[in-house]
Amino acid sequence: MLTAVVVPEGLEAVQAALVEESRLLAGGTDLMPRLNDRATPPTRLVSLRRAGLDGIAVGADAVRIGATTTLARIEDDDRLTILRGCVRSIAARPVRGLATVAGNLFVRQPHGDLAVALLALDAEVEIHGPGGPRAQRLDQVLAAGLAPQELVTGVRFTPPQTFRYHKAARRRFNSASIVTVAAALTVVDGVVRDARIALGGLGPRPLRCETAEGVLVGRPLDEPTVRDAARAAETVIEPFDDAYASAWYRRRVFPVHLRRALLGR
Amino acid sequence: MTRPAGSPQEQESVVPSQIVTLTVNGSPRELIARPSTTLLLALREGLGLTGTKRGCSQGACGSCTVLLEGEPVVACLVPVLTVDGASVTTVEGLADADGGLSPLQEAFLDNFAQQCGFCTPGMLMSSCALLRRAPAPDRDEVEEALSGNVCRCTGYEPIVGAVLDAAERSRVVGRSGAGVATSDVPVGGH
Repeated sequence: MLTAVVVPEGLEAVQAALVEESRLLAGGTDLMPRLNDRATPPTRLVSLRRAGLDGIAVGADAVRIGATTTLARIEDDDRLTILRGCVRSIAARPVRGLATVAGNLFVRQPHGDLAVALLALDAEVEIHGPGGPRAQRLDQVLAAGLAPQELVTGVRFTPPQTFRYHKAARRRFNSASIVTVAAALTVVDGVVRDARIALGGLGPRPLRCETAEGVLVGRPLDEPTVRDAARAAETVIEPFDDAYASAWYRRRVFPVHLRRALLGR
Repeated sequence: MTRPAGSPQEQESVVPSQIVTLTVNGSPRELIARPSTTLLLALREGLGLTGTKRGCSQGACGSCTVLLEGEPVVACLVPVLTVDGASVTTVEGLADADGGLSPLQEAFLDNFAQQCGFCTPGMLMSSCALLRRAPAPDRDEVEEALSGNVCRCTGYEPIVGAVLDAAERSRVVGRSGAGVATSDVPVGGH
């Protein structure tokens, strides 16, 4: 049950409102379904709708997306085509009109496909807390979470030479992930110079797969290489059972989707 | 019947209410809301606009889709206190002031795009938003735009056909945005 909903204007007011025990509300697409059930303990919400944390800035070699920027806004921004395939694979438009970038970092698998993409983009997370601002790499934020009263204010990344995103789901649109693969690649003369691979649906949170990356670097981007990379990832992934697919199925089809992500076939 | 002290219902009754102002279908409206009042509940029970339907209350079925500042959203997931002052378009806002149906609504009628009709308001609002973003969508875009709206009569085929038909009609008469409401809500995807 909700006991209060406050809508502070600006980041400082948000910080002040968080002194009382409360939960942050961004788009509400993950939190509100649970709160709509009356069997929740009394909850005070601090909404970020007027926190001034939305916005997209695209510089020469860096992109910054404000924490409360909606997925719909990313979808519509012609400067962010790199993320368009990813956000369009998440839920449907009336949910993307609410769901935010920062919220997507903290939803449970098999959701959180944007977090998978941002992990492959080696995104840095801007965080604000009682002690002021700090920045931390997304992989560390996903592993450790935030301290009480801290909140994400934005994410930033440098677009790579090549970015690939592929999501396997039960339906073409609006379905949670069975396997999601995002990859940032630098390929010179057909040889992989640099690779970052992130996986969704294959662990308790989005996984960065450095063992597979190590296999790719220095080798041509072809089927044998990708097969070896998938084999190297086998010990890293921790697939799970849910309503969409079994852990066995996820593990079984992962190499196929890694190949489709990296080779497009 | 008296409820036991401290029950959720009793706790809720002592939570302070607040006045919320919305611009709904172009007109300023006021209502009294509690923290737990969603935009959906505010429209239906606060303002009597029962065209917007309550389906799952989980954001999964799309039957409560309305335009919030021009953007389609599931109204069941929005605490109305967070959108005080916002502009909202509901299915009641699609028709002309004199009750004449919008081209999109006409296309739904002519294509038999409703059976029980429960999903229709949400379908119309998602379609309306699509036609504003993309006045000439292809079939794939229509299916994607409606992928968050569930029809339990499973009558998707005529619904998709109706949206394509509405876009075609708008093209023929040289208008953009077949379902555009008469109110002056912001147009576009932001």
